[in-house]
Amino acid sequence: MASGALTEQTPVVARPGVDFWRRLRRDRAAVAGGVIIVAFVLIALLAPVLSAVSGNNPYDYDLDALGPNTAPKGFGGGISARHWFGVEPLTGRDLFSVVVYGARTSLLVGITATVVSVALGVVIGVVAGYVGGWTDRIVSRVTDVIFGFPSLIFIIALGAIVPASFPKSFLIVLVIGFFGWPTIARVVRGQTLALKERNYVTAARASGAGPLHVMASELLPNLTATIIVFATISIPGKIGAEAALSFLGVGVPPPTPAWGRSIGDAIAWVGIDPMFLVFPGAALFLITMAFNLFGDGLRDVLDPRTGRAR
Amino acid sequence: MKKPPRALRVLGVVAAGLLLVSGCNANPSQSSSNQTTAATKGGDLTILTSSTQLNFDPAKSQSLAITSLGLVLRRLTSWETSPNAPTKVIPDLATDTGRPSDGGRTWTYTLKDGLKYDDGTPITSEDIKYGVERSFAPQLSGGLSYHKSLLVGGSSYGGPYDGKQLSSIETPNDKTIVFHLNAPYGDWPWIVSMGAFAPVPKAKDTNPATYGNDPAASGPYKIDKLQQGVSLTMSRNPNWSQATDQARTAGPDTITFKMGQDETVQAQALISDSGANATSFGADFVPAAQLAQAQGNPQVGNRLVTSADGALNFLSMNTQRGALKNVKVRQAFNYAIDRKAFITASGGSVSGDPATTLITPGIPGRQVYDDYPAGDDGDVAKAKQLLSESGQSNLKLTLLVSNQPIALAQAQAIQQALQRIGGVTITLRPLDDNALSSAVTQGNGDYDLYLGSWQPDFPSANGNIQPLFDSSQIGNGGYNTSRYDNAKVDALIKQATGEVDQTKAEALWAEADKAIMADAPVVPLSYAKNSFLHGSKVQNFFIGEFPAYPNYLRVTVSR
Repeated sequence: MASGALTEQTPVVARPGVDFWRRLRRDRAAVAGGVIIVAFVLIALLAPVLSAVSGNNPYDYDLDALGPNTAPKGFGGGISARHWFGVEPLTGRDLFSVVVYGARTSLLVGITATVVSVALGVVIGVVAGYVGGWTDRIVSRVTDVIFGFPSLIFIIALGAIVPASFPKSFLIVLVIGFFGWPTIARVVRGQTLALKERNYVTAARASGAGPLHVMASELLPNLTATIIVFATISIPGKIGAEAALSFLGVGVPPPTPAWGRSIGDAIAWVGIDPMFLVFPGAALFLITMAFNLFGDGLRDVLDPRTGRAR
Repeated sequence: MKKPPRALRVLGVVAAGLLLVSGCNANPSQSSSNQTTAATKGGDLTILTSSTQLNFDPAKSQSLAITSLGLVLRRLTSWETSPNAPTKVIPDLATDTGRPSDGGRTWTYTLKDGLKYDDGTPITSEDIKYGVERSFAPQLSGGLSYHKSLLVGGSSYGGPYDGKQLSSIETPNDKTIVFHLNAPYGDWPWIVSMGAFAPVPKAKDTNPATYGNDPAASGPYKIDKLQQGVSLTMSRNPNWSQATDQARTAGPDTITFKMGQDETVQAQALISDSGANATSFGADFVPAAQLAQAQGNPQVGNRLVTSADGALNFLSMNTQRGALKNVKVRQAFNYAIDRKAFITASGGSVSGDPATTLITPGIPGRQVYDDYPAGDDGDVAKAKQLLSESGQSNLKLTLLVSNQPIALAQAQAIQQALQRIGGVTITLRPLDDNALSSAVTQGNGDYDLYLGSWQPDFPSANGNIQPLFDSSQIGNGGYNTSRYDNAKVDALIKQATGEVDQTKAEALWAEADKAIMADAPVVPLSYAKNSFLHGSKVQNFFIGEFPAYPNYLRVTVSR
């Protein structure tokens, strides 16, 4: 903290990067969120290692850990030195490994789907905002339609039609990503409309810059903050969407661990083995909360309007 | 011989949804032994079901003789079930179970005296003939259809709505009906217990599509009110007489089906036994989690009723696809299977026993054998050896499975067991029940593996073998899901079907059982036991040796 004290004393002319980190660090909730996110990312990356340390993997059955009624034997759903979070009923699979590997599914789907929707949303938003006219009107109506589309039902139906050879995780990423773009497209369009009237944009245009150049070099850099904030805030929604699909039994196919599926299975067992619900439930709760806290913190720091209000 | 979903057939559901079994309480002689209680008259019985659509059209229903359809509609014969004796076929509308002549090709029935519908009109043999005829109409398909290929001229008959009659059914007078069959058929008395043999007065069949909403009642109850998806209420049929009916006791004054009741919620409500749940029972199997809950709960005790070994759970291997064409691969899978994990995933030992034969326990003539002794949890070494002998390696297979939780748990148990062989990758493809059923029964069979379950519609080995392994049952709605085509087995099936001498027929069926398993088109997994819960005021709730469902016709409610 010595360095922190030092920077506070020095009346530096705010370099944007330094200022950003200092302001973000002051937001305790955002820091907590960031720490949890980093922890989960590490857990996801190191899932095979962590799971191997406990001497398990998420696929092996351990029927000896189950009682005759197929519920886990022993305290807290079979918590023991070997099974840190206990085991799943009916299979005896190690719940710690399932939760740890589940982080891979959630983060992978959540983040890649966000990348898909942000990419789509930014392109569509900038074009609509900058080009304007009929393009804008048509794109805006399409945005409204997609925004109000019953995407969950559509995804469930699509899952039944798409051939088995098409990888299910990829399909889920595509579909969740596709239905996520309207929100960000609207915001980006609004900002573009404001930005394109600015002097520097007019100047660029006057000096002969083409629309592509203006969009890429003049508008996009000034949209970065908005895009980062929106991406962060929309990740938990995507993770939630994946969990909802898995909960309904139409997410990534078993036995690939997914928190949503574990939660769905655990609901029926809550009376007998509540810990089966607690661990994957807590993981899903923590990661979505962390992204929300971090996203809020980011917005406060980056968003010029809320920034000014401070 | 269509026959999909077991659970739903019982209720006579229109859409074929398939629930894999879970079961309970291992003892064949059930814990709930109050079937000896004298039938109490009166009270209101509630039946909870997850189905959202109930169908009382006798032509479309797949309901068994002893479940919901039987409350409203009588047929020529019915079943007498008992937990400690084989199920018997007994006369219902007819005076006996049928008089064969012409070596078993012609069957004659005489109706009892004084039979009436709920509106007071007499039941005649013409009504039964008309009921059978309308089951041939394409718009009324979906019911049990064993009779359609047996009756002379049945294959080309399209129902009575274009004015044509089926000449192989004769009604010399109001009380007599004669059936002429293509070939001798010893199990015919069981066939006439099916829905299509319920009387339908032609005058009431003005709109066939909605006839099932309020059919002419011949049984002890008539339908008062039907709200699809919500509930169905029945009350007494004043013209039914106990004196003519030995199959039904008609205890409750009213019976209400509550539809769309989630299985888990249903089971929890029945475990709690509060309020109206005390006079209710669940039509669905108790799910694994609630099974564990109920077993440990002294308040439940004998309100949890478990059947003896029933339906066969099996893994179909598509014998017309890739590496699965090779018998050694299929045999390797038979050795690799982990029946212990499978049964655990189904809900533990109360949910079933390991299976090795195709004919299920409780079926006369079953011979016990095990061609692929794999022990409790599989013989992986033997499986590896067979797979390497087969010359196949690096198998990538898709397993089609219902998206119901129990089915998914079972499929994962199979997946982990088979992947132990090495070089075998199994991908699960969970599907909605209707999509699943059409994927395996229609078309060219674009799948490798399928997790299926089968309970015969009547207690004969015929019902175990023919629908699943006769080559005529491949595609077009048939349930030969391993697409097994062996001329020698087809010939054996034909011979056994035509055998009128039951002892000889049983020996032939046992031979067919072994002949099929030598080719290993399926992996027999378990004989499922079904568990049901009922409230504390429900009496005479028991499951016979066959089928693994409670007898609705005898359930009563205590005061």
